[in-house]
This record gives sequence, C-alpha cells and structure tokens, in this order.
Amino acid sequence: MIDLPVAVSSRSRSEERLEFRRHVVRRSTGLAVRHLVLVLMAALTLFPVVLIISTALKTPQDVRSDPFGLFSSFSFENLRSAWTVGRFSSYLLDSLLLTVPSTIVVIVISTMAGYAFARLPFPGRTAIFYVVVLGLLVPFFTYMIPLYFQLRSMGLLDSLVGANLVLISTNLSFGTFFMRAFFSDLPEELEQAARIDGASESRIFAQVMMPLVSSGAAALAVFTFLSNWNNFLVPLLYLPSGKYRPLTAGLYNFTGGRSMDIGPLAAGTLITIVPVIVIFVVLQRQVTQGFMSGAVKG
Amino acid sequence: MGAVSNVPAVTRRAQARLGILLALPVAIVTAVFFVFPMANALYYSVVDFDGLDPTPPFVGLRNFTEMFTDPATWHALGNNAIWIAIGTAAPMIIGLLVAVLIWSGRGGATYRLLFFLPFMLPGVAIGIVWGWIYDPVNGWINRVLNAIGLDGLSRGWLGDPKTAIFAVLATAIWATCGFVTMIILSALRNVDVELVDAARIDGANAGQRLWHILLPQIMPVFLMVLTLTLVGGFSVFDIIFIMTGGGPADATEVLGTYAYSSAFQLNRISYGTVLALLITVLAVPFTIMLNRLQRRLSLQGLGA
Repeated sequence: MIDLPVAVSSRSRSEERLEFRRHVVRRSTGLAVRHLVLVLMAALTLFPVVLIISTALKTPQDVRSDPFGLFSSFSFENLRSAWTVGRFSSYLLDSLLLTVPSTIVVIVISTMAGYAFARLPFPGRTAIFYVVVLGLLVPFFTYMIPLYFQLRSMGLLDSLVGANLVLISTNLSFGTFFMRAFFSDLPEELEQAARIDGASESRIFAQVMMPLVSSGAAALAVFTFLSNWNNFLVPLLYLPSGKYRPLTAGLYNFTGGRSMDIGPLAAGTLITIVPVIVIFVVLQRQVTQGFMSGAVKG
Repeated sequence: MGAVSNVPAVTRRAQARLGILLALPVAIVTAVFFVFPMANALYYSVVDFDGLDPTPPFVGLRNFTEMFTDPATWHALGNNAIWIAIGTAAPMIIGLLVAVLIWSGRGGATYRLLFFLPFMLPGVAIGIVWGWIYDPVNGWINRVLNAIGLDGLSRGWLGDPKTAIFAVLATAIWATCGFVTMIILSALRNVDVELVDAARIDGANAGQRLWHILLPQIMPVFLMVLTLTLVGGFSVFDIIFIMTGGGPADATEVLGTYAYSSAFQLNRISYGTVLALLITVLAVPFTIMLNRLQRRLSLQGLGA
C-alpha cells in the first residue's frame, strides 16, 4: 500500500518536490508512531513472562531481598529446590500422564468421528452430531458438579483414568467438529476412484482420506495438548486428594505458602510454561494458523 | 457431502456399518460424560442433595426461588455483568486496533508471536505472576506509582474490595487481547486493499477507513470473536478463583465461584447446580443470537 501524491500538472517541480517530501515525512512519522505503539504493547505483553523467568533464575537471597526486581543475579537454586523440595518433578510426571493419553485418544476418536459425520451416511448421523456439537455450546460448568458424583460412584474419582476421561470428553466436541470440517473439504472424486479400484470402505478411510487430514490432526493435537496441559478445573475437582497432582494444581497448592517460597514458586511456574513456550516457538505457524482455521471454521 | 445417488446399495450398507463403528466412541463418551451428567444436573436442581444422601428429598422449584431471592446471586451476577461488559469491550477494541496496526505496518510475524503468547499460558501461571505485579509491597504497579510520585494511589490491588475486580479483569484482558488480535489479523488478510486505498484518496482519515471500510468487511469474524469472548465471560472461573477466590469480602464473587463454593465448600450440591444452570441459561441465547447474525452477514458477504 504505497500511496504517492497525485501529481498536478499546473504546479511547479519544486512545489511538487516539497509536497512529496512532506508526504514522506508524514508517512514515516505515521509508521514510527505505529511501531512505537506496537513495541509498547509488546513490552506490556511480555513483561509478566520476563518477570517469571527473572524471578525463577535469581539467587534465593536476591529473591528474598528484592522479590520481583528484574535479573539481578543468576542461579539454578530455585529450580533445584522446586524440583526436589517442591515436588515439581512429580507434578511434571502427573501432567504428562494426564495430557499425553487424553490428547492421543482425542485425536483418534475425533478423526474417526469426523470422517463418519462428514462422509458416511448412517442412521441417526445428524441427531448424534447435534448432541456432540451441543457440547460446544454448554459450558463445562453446567455439568461439572453432577460429573463429580458420577465419577465417585464409578470409582474413578482421584484416578488418572477418570481425569483423563473427563479431559477427553471436554475436548471431543471441538475435535469432532474440527476434523469433520477437514474431511468435508476433501474432493468426492478421491473416494470414488479408490472405490472403483476395489478398496473397501475402511481402507478408503485409513489409507486414502486419513493421510490427507494429517495437518489438521496435528493442529488439533497441539491445541488439545495445550488445553489439557493448562487445565486447572479438572484436576482441582476430580483429583481432590492430591495423590496425583499436575503442574497447574501443584502451583496452585504452592501459592498457599509463605512469601519466602516465591523463588521456588517462580521456578515451578517456569517449569509449567516451558512446554507451552517451546511449542509456541517451534510450531508458531502451525499453532496460529490452526487456531485461526479452527476458529473460522467453528 | 456424504450420500451420493449413484452409490450402489452394497457400498451404502458398508458405509453405514463403518459410519456407526467410527461414530460409536464419540457417541459413548458423549452419552456417559455429557448427556448423563446434564440429565443429572436437571435432577439435582429439583431435589435437595448434600452429596451423601442417596435418595435426596424432592423440593420442586425451591432451589430456583431461593436463587432469585438470594442477594449473593444478584451480587455475583452484577460482577459477571461488569466482567462481561469491560472484559469483552476492552479486548475487542484493543485487539482490533493492534491487529490493524500490525496489518498496515511491517514486521507482522514477530508481533504476532509476542501478542499471542499470553493466550496460551495456563491460568494458574497468569494468576500467580499478576499477583506479584499487584503485590502491595514489592509489586510493579505500586513501584511505578511511587516512582512517578503517585504514592497516594498505591495499594494492595487484589486486597482492596474497591479495586479487586478491576485488577483481576485487567489480567484477563491482558490474557485475551492476543487471541482477538490473531483472529482479526487473519480476517484482515482477505480485506480488499483497493477499497482502502480508494477511501484514502477520497480523503478518509484512518478512523473513517477503519470504521467504514475495514470493519464492515471483517464483521462476520469480528462477531465470532465477540461471541467467544462474551460467552466466556459468563462462565469465568479459573482466573478469579486463583487470584482472589471470590474475595475480599465477596468483592470478586461471580456466578462461577459462587456455584463452586456453594457445591464444594458448603456441600449445597443442588444449589451450586442451579447456579451453574443459570450461567448456561444466560449464555446460550447470546451464543445463538450472535451466531445467527454472523451467519447472515457471511452469507451476505458471499452474495455481494
């Protein structure tokens, strides 16, 4: 978008040149102001993250004397005490045990269901799809209390299986909806050609169609992982005894402590957000595009 | 999509079989972990369940009448209203402006990276670090205020009932803006740049171009983010629970935290359930209304 001034023939060359220079000045001031605003906003956005990192990596003495001062010293002492005394190593393990299985199951079930709802006519398809998608409309809040007593009566309260099942179910509506959109976009001809070649229906799904939605499945895997990794309410409610405690619940539990514990708390927070930042930096394009296509399709 | 008339009956039967097989897991999980607890929520709302009694007494609509005559409900609802009004308007406005600034300037990828990060962080981490920023003694807000001579304004932002809700809200706005920016930025990619240039030549200033040229073109996407942000405001829980737990003195209590404390701290399971149902009943009409509007606008966009 370069907008040059419209030259008027009646004006002299020097007038034109002056007009052009004024225009350039106006334009670059605009650009400078724009970047100034953006840089300020970016600093504001980034500051809390820098604060976490800086507090986590200071010496415990510096944390005590000036808890939130930025980068006054460097030490792994807080990380070490969070890892051992603060039990963050066990929280990390529980986070993985909650996040990895539920993410894998969500991808598998959503891909299967997305294909069925997009391309396979079967009795009751529309009705079942509507009920599944209703889950997008109804907040988890509405049924979280009955779900607590249901899990208790099923013997799944305070168990990783139960918490995994809840995390699976809360992600399935979106997952199914998302994968269905990807399968719907595939051309009919592919399916027909494979059928003419004698491929069975299940083979068409597994070997022809599924590989074509792998980028969608990968994007879904990233959001599901993140949403489960960040989930606070599910462990709070359904893992009440603290026998299993993922990072989010571990952090929350830690905040009850004295202000002396700020160093390890900052280190624990850092441990919790490191996977998020790594995913974000490594898969930046996929994550943002996936979020956008998910949002725009949804 | 799906059934085609020239598919032979044998294939159709095979498709139906596979379809049922592939949809079975989602149907089972949805039935057990969504439909069944939803039905139970309705049942809990008309009995008086304390979490232990296997046959709780039927009380009809008593939970509902109690809810509507309970001042705490109205207080929480008022806080939800503040939360929804400011917590929707601010990210929408800031997100839109930031997106337009990135879109019309250069270096988009770096900014996109920076602004989106907060949206991906866990609520607990956000709550903890903002708790430090609001800290009465060492917090950065008070440090800055003291440094510029506004010592009189410094306080315990989360501990003062007058400021607590706004302090938590500011944190939530910080966490949401990047998401709005990202989605609007994606919509701006499809904007007709020639229209913007034509408006500029016709002498429209930046504000007029934004309002009359850019906004109408991205309206369907704008409404979609509006819906997501607005509806999220009804069921807000994590950030408030983590930062203030509803306090000080109920100053930040919303329906979500009130439902949680009723059910799990006071063992009034039925009352908590009724409060949770209220959240849904309030949120669903907004979702439907905005979705309709969005669909109508995107259809018009296709027709034009």
